Amino acid sequence: MIVCVAVVGHQNNPLYIQSFTESDDVLKLHHIVHCSLDVVDERVNNPKKSGPTLNETFLGLLYPTENYKVYGYLTNTKVKFILVTTDLDVRDADVRNFFRSFHAAYVDAVSNPFHVPGKKITSKVFAKRVSGIVQTFGLSSAG
Amino acid sequence: MIGVGKIKQYTNVLDRPLSKGKQEVSLSAFAFLFSELVQYNQTQVDNIAELERRLEDAGYAVGARVLELLCHREKGNRRETRLLGILSFIHSTVWKVLFGKVADSLEKGTEHEDEYMISEKELLLNRFISIPKDMGAFNCGAFVAGIVKGVLDNAGFPAVVTAHFVPVDGQQRPRTTILIKFAEEVLQREARLG
Repeated sequence: MIVCVAVVGHQNNPLYIQSFTESDDVLKLHHIVHCSLDVVDERVNNPKKSGPTLNETFLGLLYPTENYKVYGYLTNTKVKFILVTTDLDVRDADVRNFFRSFHAAYVDAVSNPFHVPGKKITSKVFAKRVSGIVQTFGLSSAG
Repeated sequence: MIGVGKIKQYTNVLDRPLSKGKQEVSLSAFAFLFSELVQYNQTQVDNIAELERRLEDAGYAVGARVLELLCHREKGNRRETRLLGILSFIHSTVWKVLFGKVADSLEKGTEHEDEYMISEKELLLNRFISIPKDMGAFNCGAFVAGIVKGVLDNAGFPAVVTAHFVPVDGQQRPRTTILIKFAEEVLQREARLG
């Protein structure tokens, strides 16, 4: 079950944060996303293996907290996508697919000539697409 | 069951699905739009440098979006961290998507370490534009320079990009060169990466 998705700009400024459960404290999710940014920076600056891993966009499991798992994805312009989920057995391929569709939705939102880069994403179409992607993620993992 | 598996025949031409279409825009439509853009900016400014800066800003917005789109669509999601990598990306992929062909040449400047040049015999943009004598060295390629600047800045390689005319013997129209001058930190990072 995806709890929260976030888009963070290249100066670590938040561009879009959306949570998908009412039960949890939204502030706690913001805090988790914020802490995961440190892990992203660490991965980018000190790669475990040099070579092709240096350029990979999908960062993988960033860190597991008490009942959440946090996944990261870095685009070409240093914009980061953070995914917080409560599932215990999430397949790697599912998360990659999720990030791929999410990246497509993000590219479409940024291509809007009225969108100012660096400001929050206010497009309703983007929000709807993201909710659609989140719901299909839940279904494919459950099956 | 008879009829199952038959291809659906559309009786009404309006019901047929739209084809994906060619990913191209007509050059005349673009030239018209671009000339309007230049004319509009000309009325707003009183000197040439300001006009060039405005065209560059317009190109910057395009460059930022083109980078996101191309990296997602074409490059298989690999992030460029090396100077030569990002330059060849611009020289081939970006040029191919924008102008339908790769740029004519990519050269490294001889006087300074941080200068690179992309040249084109005739920029597609400038094909229907002639500069009046009193405008001097103004080049509408400032728009393309802005696009390159947008791509470089957002990929993490801050640079100053300008467009120049370079006269070539044997050719009545001068060649256009996009001059890219990278910031100091880019060269330092490149030296560190080895």
